[in-house]
Amino acid sequence: MSVRNTRIPDHLRLPFAGVTPAPTEEAGQELFPTGNFRFFRPVYRDKMPPCNNACPTGEQIQKYLDYVKHERFLDGYLTIMEDNPMPAVTGRVCYHPCESACNRKDHDEPIGIRNVERYLGDYGLALADDPIAPTLPALNGKHVAVVGAGPGGLGCAYHLRRLGYRVTILEAQAKPGGMLRGGIPHWHLPEEVLNAEITKIEQLGGIEIRCNTRVGTDVTWEDLGSYDAAFLAVGQDVGRRLPVEGSDLRGVMGGLEFLREAGYGRPVKVGKKVLVIGGGNTASDTARSALRLGADEVTIVSLEARDELLIVAEDLEQAIDEGVRFQPGTACVRIIGDGGVVTGAVLAQARLAKDEHGNVKPEVIPDTEFQVECDTVMFAIGQAQNLDWAPDHLNERGLLQADDYGRVEGNIFAGGDIVRGPAMVVDALGDGKRAARNIDKVLRATELTPPDPVEVMPYERLNTAYFKHAPRIEAPMVPPAERVRDQETEVTQAYSTEQAMAEADRCMSCGVCNGCDNCYIVCPDVSVMRDARENGHYSIRTKYCKGCLVCVQECPTGCLEKVPELDFAEPDDVQRMETAFAPYDGAHAEQSIPIARIHEQAIAEYDAARRATRGAAGNGNGEG
Amino acid sequence: MYHEITVWTRGIIMDKEARDVVNCMATAASNAGLYSHYISDYVDDPDRTNCLIRKYARFGDQPIVDHFVYENPHPDWVVLVEETLIKGVNFFRGTPDGQGVLVVNSGRDPEYLLRFLPESMRAKLSKLVVVDAVALAEQLGRSPWMFVRDLGQLAYDRMSTEGATERSEVGIGIAAPLIGALTAATGVLSLEAVAQTVYDQAAFRRGAEQHTVLDYAERRATATAPT
Repeated sequence: MSVRNTRIPDHLRLPFAGVTPAPTEEAGQELFPTGNFRFFRPVYRDKMPPCNNACPTGEQIQKYLDYVKHERFLDGYLTIMEDNPMPAVTGRVCYHPCESACNRKDHDEPIGIRNVERYLGDYGLALADDPIAPTLPALNGKHVAVVGAGPGGLGCAYHLRRLGYRVTILEAQAKPGGMLRGGIPHWHLPEEVLNAEITKIEQLGGIEIRCNTRVGTDVTWEDLGSYDAAFLAVGQDVGRRLPVEGSDLRGVMGGLEFLREAGYGRPVKVGKKVLVIGGGNTASDTARSALRLGADEVTIVSLEARDELLIVAEDLEQAIDEGVRFQPGTACVRIIGDGGVVTGAVLAQARLAKDEHGNVKPEVIPDTEFQVECDTVMFAIGQAQNLDWAPDHLNERGLLQADDYGRVEGNIFAGGDIVRGPAMVVDALGDGKRAARNIDKVLRATELTPPDPVEVMPYERLNTAYFKHAPRIEAPMVPPAERVRDQETEVTQAYSTEQAMAEADRCMSCGVCNGCDNCYIVCPDVSVMRDARENGHYSIRTKYCKGCLVCVQECPTGCLEKVPELDFAEPDDVQRMETAFAPYDGAHAEQSIPIARIHEQAIAEYDAARRATRGAAGNGNGEG
Repeated sequence: MYHEITVWTRGIIMDKEARDVVNCMATAASNAGLYSHYISDYVDDPDRTNCLIRKYARFGDQPIVDHFVYENPHPDWVVLVEETLIKGVNFFRGTPDGQGVLVVNSGRDPEYLLRFLPESMRAKLSKLVVVDAVALAEQLGRSPWMFVRDLGQLAYDRMSTEGATERSEVGIGIAAPLIGALTAATGVLSLEAVAQTVYDQAAFRRGAEQHTVLDYAERRATATAPT
C-alpha cells in the first residue's frame, strides 16, 4: 500500500518514548527509575552478637569465627589478640560465657567457641615470627607498675605495651602466672603452654616481670606512687580454712595451697582416702588432682545439694567419669586424728545458708552426725587476700573498691579477683584491658567515658531457614581411665583443622553482615551492589530499589533492616525523589522533547477552549 | 464553584481506598444537586503493586461539558493515601497558585512533612491536612503492605478496579477517615451529605474530628505582610 500523501502527526513521530528503543542499555534504564515505588527502604545495620557481648574481655568472636570458616587463621589469631593476649590459655580453661549466650543454642547446640579459640591460640604459639611485635608503637617514656603477674596483670601489661607504655610487673611468687600456674592444674592447662604464652608477652619488649617481689614487704604502697600509674591485680590466693577441731592435724591442707604446690611442680603428698570440703570449681580441681597424685578414693563433701553445686557442668561430668565421689548436703563438723595425723572426719547432714553479708553459714541438722575414714582433708571453701599493704579506706571486707572504670584512686586502678571476689580468668583479662585503656586516657588527660549502649541480636530476628541443623563437634577427650594416671595428660584435646573450620561454619553471624550474598541474589531489581567482598559490604541502589523488602526477609543474620522511607536521621538530609511518573516526565521527556510538551499543550488547549466558550478560566462550564 | 480532586495512591494494594475517596465525594456532590464525575486512572502507567496511580473526581454547580477529559488539569484538592508520595512526584502540577489543599495519611508532624515540598510546590499550597487514617480506621485484618486489610479482600477489589461494580462496601478501612478529614478541612460539602455515602460512618467522624490542619496560606501571608 502506498504511503504517498500520508502524514504522520507530529506527536507520533519517532523517537517516541516508550516505543523507540533507547540507544544504550544504560540510557534505557534511565527511563524507569522505580525508586519512588518505595515506602520502606532496606538499610544495613550491624548489631552486637550475643557472644561478643557476653565475653568479659570483649573478644570479637563472630569476626574470628568468620575468619576460621574461610581458613584465614592468621587474621583470626590477630583478631583475638586485639582483646586477649593468651588465647591458648583461655581456649583451655575459660568457662565460656560466650557459649552460654550463643544464639545457636536455640537452634540446635551452641558453637564450640572455646575449642576454636584454643585452635587459634595454638596456631599463634606455633608461628615462627610474632606478628604483633612489628606493629608496636615506640615507648612513650611513661612507666606503669602492675602488681600481680596473673591473667589480670599480664593482660593489662600487654595492652599497655600496645599503647606504648613501659610496664614493670611485680610478682610475689617465684614464677609468673598467678592462678594460671598455681590454681589451674596441668591436666587442664599444660605448663609449657602457659610458659609459651607468658614468654610471648615478655618478648614484646618493654615489659619486665620481677618475681619474688611482694607488695607490702619488698614494695610499699608509697613506692607505687613513684610510677606514672599502677594496676593492682593481686587476686585472692589465700584459701579459707574451716575453723573446726582438728584442722591443725597433719594431713589437713588448703585446696588452693595444694594446687599451688602441684602447679609449681613441687612435691605434694596426698593419702589414699581424701576428703575435699567445698562445692565449687576449686574443690573439683583439687579432687581430680588428688586422684592423679595417688589417692584411691576422693570424695567431695559439700554443703550444696547435688543440684546446687557450683561446679561447671562439663567439669562435673568429667569428675564423675573419673570416679570422684560426692557427698552433697553435708558439713564437716570435726576432724579426728591419732598421733597428730588425720585418721577420719565427723560429718553431718546440713543445708547451705547465708548470713546477712552473703557469707556462707552452714545449717547443721541435729542428730545426723556420722563418721568416715580418711587420711587427707582439703579445704576448698573460699578465697581471701591479705590487704595490709593497702590503705584501710580502700579495703571493703577484703576486696578493693574500684569504680566502673576500674579506678581505685588517683592513677591507681585495680581488677580481677581482688575487686570482684572469685571470678573467671577472662574477667581478669577484661579488667586488665579496660584498666590499660583507661590508664592511657587518664595519662593523656582525656575524659573517661562510659561505653556506648549496644543492641544485642536475639535469635528471634534471624532468618533461621538458612541454617541447616548440625550437631556441635565436641573436642576429643582422653578416656577417664587413662587420664587419671598423671597430672600432665591434658583431658581435653585439640580440634583438627577440619573440625575447627566445620564448627566455625555453624556460626550464624548474628546481626553482622558476613557477605553471604543472599540479598544480592534475591533482589528482583538488581539493586544490591557488591562494593567489596571483604566481609560482605553492599550498598542499595536507591534509584531502582522498589522497597519489596525480600532482601530484608531473606537476610539470615538480620543485619538488614527496613526503615520507613520518610525517616531521615537529620532534618537537613530530607530528600525528594523526583523520578519519572508518566511519559511526560523525567527521562522519557528528555528522550523526546515533543512528548514533554504534549501535556502542557493539552492543558493549554483545554483552558483556551473553556475561555472561548465562557470568557472565564478553568471549569467545565458550557451552555449546550 | 468547581473543584477537582486528584487522589494519589499505590497500585493494587491501596487502590480501593483511593477509589472510595473519589466515589464518595462525587456521589455526595451529586446527591447535593451538583454536577459531578469520578473516574479511575486512565492515562497513567499500568496499575502494578506500589506503582503510582491516580483517581479523579470533579464537581461543580455548572454542567460538565468535556466528558472525555479524564485527568484533572487543575487539581485543587490533592489526597495522598500513602505518606511517602509527598516526596515522590509533583502532584501540584496544574494547580492554581495558593489554592491547593493537600490531605496526607500520615502519623507524622505536619512541619516534618512540609520539608519535603520544594518552593515551587509550596507556592501552590493553601492548607496541609494530616490525618493518621491507619490509627483511626477500623482494623479489618493485617498484612505487611496494605493498610488494615487482608490479602483475601484484595480479590474483590480487582474486579472493581477495571470498572465493575464494587464488591466490598464503599468507604471502609482507611478511606473513611481520609474522606472525613478531606470534607471537614475543605468545608464545601456538608459532613452529613458525605457521611451518607460512607459505609464506616464512625471512622468517618473520627477522621473529621481528629486531623491537623496547617494553614500555609496564612503563614505565607504573615511572612510577606509589611511590618
